Amino acid sequence: MSSHNLDVYMPVLILMAFAAIMVLGALLVGKLVRPQNPTELKNAPYECGEAPIGSAWSNFNVRFYVVALVFIIFDVEGALMFPVATVFKKFVEIGEGGAILGTFLIFVSVLVLGIVYCWKKGDLDWVKSYQVDTDYNEEKDK
Amino acid sequence: MNETVVSYLSQAPGYALLVEKLSEFFGFDAEGFVTFLIFALVCFVVVNVMSAIGGLGTYAERKISADLQMRQGPNRVGPFGILQFLADGVKMLGKEDILPAQADRFLFLIAPLMCMVGVFASLAVVPFSSGLTLTNLNIGVFYLIGVSSLVGVGIFLGGYAANSKWSMLGGMRGASQIISYEVPVTLSILAIVLMTGSLSFNVITDAQGGLPHQWYIFHNPFTFIAFFVLFIGALAETNRAPFDLPEAESELVSGYHTEFSGMRFAFFALAEYVEVFVVCGVVAALFLGGYKVPFDLGNGELIAKTFPAIHPMLAKQIGNVLQLKAFILKTLALYYVVIWIRWTLPRLRVDSLMVLCWKYLTPIALFNLVGCAVWLWAFEGKSMWAMIFKSGVAAAGGHH
Amino acid sequence: MFLKIMFILAATMTLGGAFLTAYTKNLMHACVYLLVSLFGVAGLYATLGADFLAATQLVVYAGGVVILMLFAIMLTGGIQNFVNKFGLDKVPSMGNGKTYTIAGLSMIITAFIIMKVLAPIFKTNVQGELPAFASTVEEIGVLLVTDHVLAFEISSILLLGALVGAAVISRPRRGK
Repeated sequence: MSSHNLDVYMPVLILMAFAAIMVLGALLVGKLVRPQNPTELKNAPYECGEAPIGSAWSNFNVRFYVVALVFIIFDVEGALMFPVATVFKKFVEIGEGGAILGTFLIFVSVLVLGIVYCWKKGDLDWVKSYQVDTDYNEEKDK
Repeated sequence: MNETVVSYLSQAPGYALLVEKLSEFFGFDAEGFVTFLIFALVCFVVVNVMSAIGGLGTYAERKISADLQMRQGPNRVGPFGILQFLADGVKMLGKEDILPAQADRFLFLIAPLMCMVGVFASLAVVPFSSGLTLTNLNIGVFYLIGVSSLVGVGIFLGGYAANSKWSMLGGMRGASQIISYEVPVTLSILAIVLMTGSLSFNVITDAQGGLPHQWYIFHNPFTFIAFFVLFIGALAETNRAPFDLPEAESELVSGYHTEFSGMRFAFFALAEYVEVFVVCGVVAALFLGGYKVPFDLGNGELIAKTFPAIHPMLAKQIGNVLQLKAFILKTLALYYVVIWIRWTLPRLRVDSLMVLCWKYLTPIALFNLVGCAVWLWAFEGKSMWAMIFKSGVAAAGGHH
Repeated sequence: MFLKIMFILAATMTLGGAFLTAYTKNLMHACVYLLVSLFGVAGLYATLGADFLAATQLVVYAGGVVILMLFAIMLTGGIQNFVNKFGLDKVPSMGNGKTYTIAGLSMIITAFIIMKVLAPIFKTNVQGELPAFASTVEEIGVLLVTDHVLAFEISSILLLGALVGAAVISRPRRGK
């Protein structure tokens, strides 16, 4: 009986297998029909006709990292809110909705607090304006 | 709970007989085997149909863009050029597979694979009709958010693997854009989960009705806004214009798939078009009533009652075909809008993209979520129209 | 039958991914293998009937943490610079075949000894029926708003702290 329940995950595995078969199969079949004559120039990365300088794997701006960090925080919030959202309706039906709504609102408002803080401090701007501010202040000091 | 396409088909009269016969033939309990066989068959059909729809998506894209720009579009291969995607596929298969010298060979293969696996795995929970849902997981919506995030990893790795500056920029932008817009999308979906009290797509769809006033988009003002937030977020998550910064052709050559050629590129494109279909289907299921047909024609009871001669199972099948049509119709309508938007709006700048996500969509989505919760609590989940109707009746009654 | 296949698949993914993560010298490849391992863990949760936990594993780890790690690698300049600014190796040496063989054998022996010692404790733990597939989401939800409501609220404050921290470290220093 227990094994029967897990059948719901079977299509997931089958679909993943199909996707893998499609990609690998098409690449293998293509190997039979496609030409294969690489040259040094052909295998160079495309840089609009210029000779590429250095590798593309270089340091990137910290803001990408911060976006990912903020996303994870929201992700975890979402993961915590999903079960509560699922049972909210049932609590409303038995007349206990107010308490759950309060709990939920406190949770969300703490989250909103974080957004408001970041907004006020200018952390939600993609291009930070600090540099401009300091330059402006320095000029004013002179 | 947890119905699958197999549990639907097992209601058919021949199913038990088939299992029995096969059990006798093999000498063991064949139920698991039959389950696997049906799943594999249906998955095969779904994968092929979806690939065809993805291919036709590229055709539709070109034809509609041609229409909007007063051009002809593809019109040579097949009637109205409809077989263009097959010709493209054959051409891609015969293209040389260029592997840049500095590239990471392993990731160069893994990146398109990951995009395809992520998109195809998300097909498992798309509710095509009440019978033809591959698997109606209890956690359907959440599962979909989880597996579709694989596409983001795939795009990033695609940009990284080629070791080209354009690809790298496109990959970084793509990944950061996808994860950013996942926040408002998740919050909008959460609002619907709140209204329904379930994460399963079929339960969410069944909570709505066939006619527009029974859809969640018109349920209350907050869900109306949530629909647009979700749709905009979905556009950004699938890298469609005006959010196609990862492959911005005027600044990044072709973005994360600049160095991919032949079939590897084809899989990125296919994954993108299938993902657009999946996302449109999800939006249709959550907000536009999904597979619901007006007047409950979909469950086949009315058909069976009107024509007592036909077998109830057959009536159910007819209902299912109607449901399938309703779902595909709604999804394709949204698909058209997606393409229409692409050829109408100019591309956003990367800073305004992030500002739109974090300063507009996320606060609006949070506001909607709270609004839906308060609405559900205050009016016990009644829709706007039900209340207007009720107050109208009360007012009319008051005068007499 | 399918339970066994799924368990073996998930366990292989978990162990294989974890081993390759430790084995490979390429940081990006290590991240991909880690993703495989995390998927395997999600599969293990699913075989145990914890469907919501499995999905959470996918959403948070596969979607968020792996991307964060990839970005962190790009922040430090990809795999190109093997030596940091102090002249130390960023990627420490991983050993060779001999060390892996010895480590593997000693791990197996240790594991057997520990299992032998712990066997009486686990004896009662026969493989029973899995709980019927009632949705675990609702159970978790009910527990979160009744018994564990304080933990639920405190977790939001923890996340607020993390959000503020992330914002603070991203700010460019206003050095003179």
